[in-house]
Amino acid sequence: MTDFSNAMSIAASGMKAQATRLRHVSENIANADTPGYRRKTVTFEEVVDAGRTSGLVETGRVRLDRTDLEQIHDPSHPLADANGNYHGSNVNMLIEIADAREAQRSYEANLKLFDQVRRMSSSLMEILRK
Amino acid sequence: MFTSLDVLQTAMNMARHAGSRQAVTAANLANADTPGYRARSIAPFSEIYETSSAESLRRTRPGHLGVDTGAAKATAEFSDSEPAPNGNSVSIEQEMLNAVEIQREHNRALTIYKHSLEVLRLSLGRR
Repeated sequence: MTDFSNAMSIAASGMKAQATRLRHVSENIANADTPGYRRKTVTFEEVVDAGRTSGLVETGRVRLDRTDLEQIHDPSHPLADANGNYHGSNVNMLIEIADAREAQRSYEANLKLFDQVRRMSSSLMEILRK
Repeated sequence: MFTSLDVLQTAMNMARHAGSRQAVTAANLANADTPGYRARSIAPFSEIYETSSAESLRRTRPGHLGVDTGAAKATAEFSDSEPAPNGNSVSIEQEMLNAVEIQREHNRALTIYKHSLEVLRLSLGRR
């Protein structure tokens, strides 16, 4: 029984981590046109409990992507410098969409497994019913 | 006389084995995007059963000398698939396949268990 609840909490931690990742992706996409915005990246780490790996996953610190900001030429922009350029964001839509897809796939896989474990444990309970 | 039936014991071990294997699969899937994570796996029940039943002695009482039937002490080992550039060696497809196999194994074990109970009940004359 502990194996089942263990498996369920691990699958839930995976879903939580993927949801956090998806949230950061949507923040990035929402700020794609914000001048000076750097895209956020999220790291995944395995939880180590008292020196032993527990199998749970959690998101680590949020880091900012350090690639150069896009130079946009627009002399009429309020933030434009003497040459008429200003810094846009370094969000690349293609990367964000691909990231979102990957997060969705992993989320679904975790959800499927959660459901499967739940069904397995309820069929175990079925024996007691008779 | 029927204090511990071998069929029930084996079915229970099989179900328990499926449970612990499922936990390992869940950990692999949850860490499908963790850099540096290496996929783990537990050997299928049939392999463990063969090695344990070949070596262990049959006992008529729990106090007698012998080796424990080893389904419960299955250990997770690293499975050796090619890792991705970030050092992660989890393949979601493989894990899905394992999960289905484990579920079928679990179902099989429970069905055997249920059926054996039914046979016992039948022999007791209660239906």
